[in-house]
Amino acid sequence: MATMTPSAWATTLVADAVFATAFVKRDGSFGAAVLSEAGKVLHAIDLPDRGHDVTFDPISKRSVVFARQPGTFAVVFDHSGRDAPLTIASIAGRHFFGHGVFSADGALLYATENDFDNAAGVVGVYDARAKFSRVGEFPTYGMGPHELLLLGDGRTIAVANGGIETHPDYGRAELNIATMKPSYVLIDRVTGDLIEKHELPAALHQLSIRHMDTDRSGSVWFGCQYRGPGTDRPLLVGRAARGKELQLLDMPQDVLSGFRNYIGSVAANRAAGTVAVSSPEGNSLVVIDAASGRVVANSALVEVCGVAPDGTGFMATTGAGEIVEGSGATRSEPDYVWDNHMLRIEQAA
Amino acid sequence: MFKRSALFLVLPLALLGVVPASAAVKASDIIQRAIDGFVRPAYAGLHEHAEALTGSMRELCVTPSQGELDAARAEFSATVYAWSSAEIIGFGPIKENNRLERMLFWPDRKSIGLKQVQAALSDKDPTATDPAQLAGKSVAMQGLGALEFVLYGDGADALAGKDDPYRCAYGAAVAGNIEAMAGEVSAAWNKPDGFAALWANPGPQNPLYRDGNEAVTELVGVFINELEMVRDVRLKGFFGGKPDADKPKQAIYWRSQNTTASLAGNLSGIDTLFQASKLGDALPADARWMAESIHIQLVNGAATAKAVSGPIDKALADPALRDKLDHFALITSSLSALIGTRLTAEFGLTAGFSSLDGD
Repeated sequence: MATMTPSAWATTLVADAVFATAFVKRDGSFGAAVLSEAGKVLHAIDLPDRGHDVTFDPISKRSVVFARQPGTFAVVFDHSGRDAPLTIASIAGRHFFGHGVFSADGALLYATENDFDNAAGVVGVYDARAKFSRVGEFPTYGMGPHELLLLGDGRTIAVANGGIETHPDYGRAELNIATMKPSYVLIDRVTGDLIEKHELPAALHQLSIRHMDTDRSGSVWFGCQYRGPGTDRPLLVGRAARGKELQLLDMPQDVLSGFRNYIGSVAANRAAGTVAVSSPEGNSLVVIDAASGRVVANSALVEVCGVAPDGTGFMATTGAGEIVEGSGATRSEPDYVWDNHMLRIEQAA
Repeated sequence: MFKRSALFLVLPLALLGVVPASAAVKASDIIQRAIDGFVRPAYAGLHEHAEALTGSMRELCVTPSQGELDAARAEFSATVYAWSSAEIIGFGPIKENNRLERMLFWPDRKSIGLKQVQAALSDKDPTATDPAQLAGKSVAMQGLGALEFVLYGDGADALAGKDDPYRCAYGAAVAGNIEAMAGEVSAAWNKPDGFAALWANPGPQNPLYRDGNEAVTELVGVFINELEMVRDVRLKGFFGGKPDADKPKQAIYWRSQNTTASLAGNLSGIDTLFQASKLGDALPADARWMAESIHIQLVNGAATAKAVSGPIDKALADPALRDKLDHFALITSSLSALIGTRLTAEFGLTAGFSSLDGD
């Protein structure tokens, strides 16, 4: 495990926020790191395999990094390294999909998982106060769930069911591309009941809904990945509001082309009223004004994927080891290949 | 940066005099060679084999005999081998109209195809004997997996006699459908203004490949993705770490004993593509050894797979043949590291680290 120097710890105390992300090192090892606002690695933990997203509980001040699908571990860690990381293993018949979220009181952790023998998505429920023992699960009412969000009411969980069937016997092979059916669902986290389920029009059944964030109005923005022919150019970004049909956002052709049919991450800057979507395939980072839906910035950045709000803009990380601050300042950590997602963690929280 | 420049930024940098002209290898030339030297002949070859397969299925239906059945089975195996080479190009025309899944629905974890094929055979569904109507049915009952069951599954021996004309007619329709798709894909790759023109002419106005880097990344992605697919999906889908973890009936083409031939076909295809593109010529002199090593390992891997012959469950029970499968896995891992890490580093490509995986 990487140790943190006292001076680095001091930095986190005075900083407004830190950022957490999984990474692969050039030597082939895996881990998760906490970065300062200036993109400096403040703390890092080792992981047994490649991680994906990180979620944070402001009550206990612990983060959890999830294995990339079809991984079977999640690791709970504090940002100081004072407590040894705690590994959560997925139960038999399930694996993680890389995303999770805490209840607002920090008592429960929810993770998207694959009930792979039944090709069904589930949300695993873990008791954060009992060493993260698994206390239950409920269905996601769809296949291949990916990111999940706890909505503002503290009770509704939104899940992006990517619609893609996978099974660990066949690694990451996608088994149902011809018949896949993604959906966006709202679930009552207390009862596990389905509140709403929305699908895209049949012609877009190969548009996998995968990543999401909530803007300041409470609307959920989602980003998709298209599994149909590369020459098709479907819309890739959409909005979901309670009780309404999913709405795909019209975007200029050149912006859409720049995504190469793949959105890797979605993050809202609620203070700035903007939403960023990144495409590591298209090497592009696009910022949208949440109220009008207009594209306000479009930048080329090789292998960009991780995005998180930073100041009035977004911090972005890349598969080439770059960290671009909201201000535009760029820092390179050539030993690190940053993974798909980055989480902003408010220190005041 | 210098090494990367040699391949992708050759035009602007050559103009600036940064890179000597002799080091210039244009991305569009690499892609054009890949298309002319591999993609077009691979799909043309598949089409020819599929035509022969349809012909022999029809012969079998008209004059059923053990000899005709053997001939049809031989054509099936030849078509599988041709497909195993062509299928590494899993983008472009093969992705349209679900052709990739219609050609080969595999893995079929829930035996959907098996159930649908058996239902068609028992119901004698007349619409399934017409290739055109069959093409509109479930992807699982119109490709190589379906035809394999017709030719090798329970009841297949009846094809040598006159007792099950429906089974033969359905098989002939599946073959006709495979032939039609192979023909469509081959024609699409040969269209002067088709997908090939897009791939070989990257540029700012190109909707798919905005620069040479993106076009070459697509090519390198074939090597990286297919090596991973061959190892993690095709091989490890049936080959466990220990014998009790084996799943011989999950092996691709186990019924026709084409499992290892298809693995060999995959690697041979990768080798032919790599050689045809001359991607290795774009490497700096001190890294040219990589191209040679990639070639040798691909040839070695294909030969290792071919050396495992006979029914796959028997092979799995033979320690010497298991060693060969282990060796095959090792070769693909070594190739993944060599191409995915070292070769891409020479070209300054990250080759979709974050994006290869559908997360």
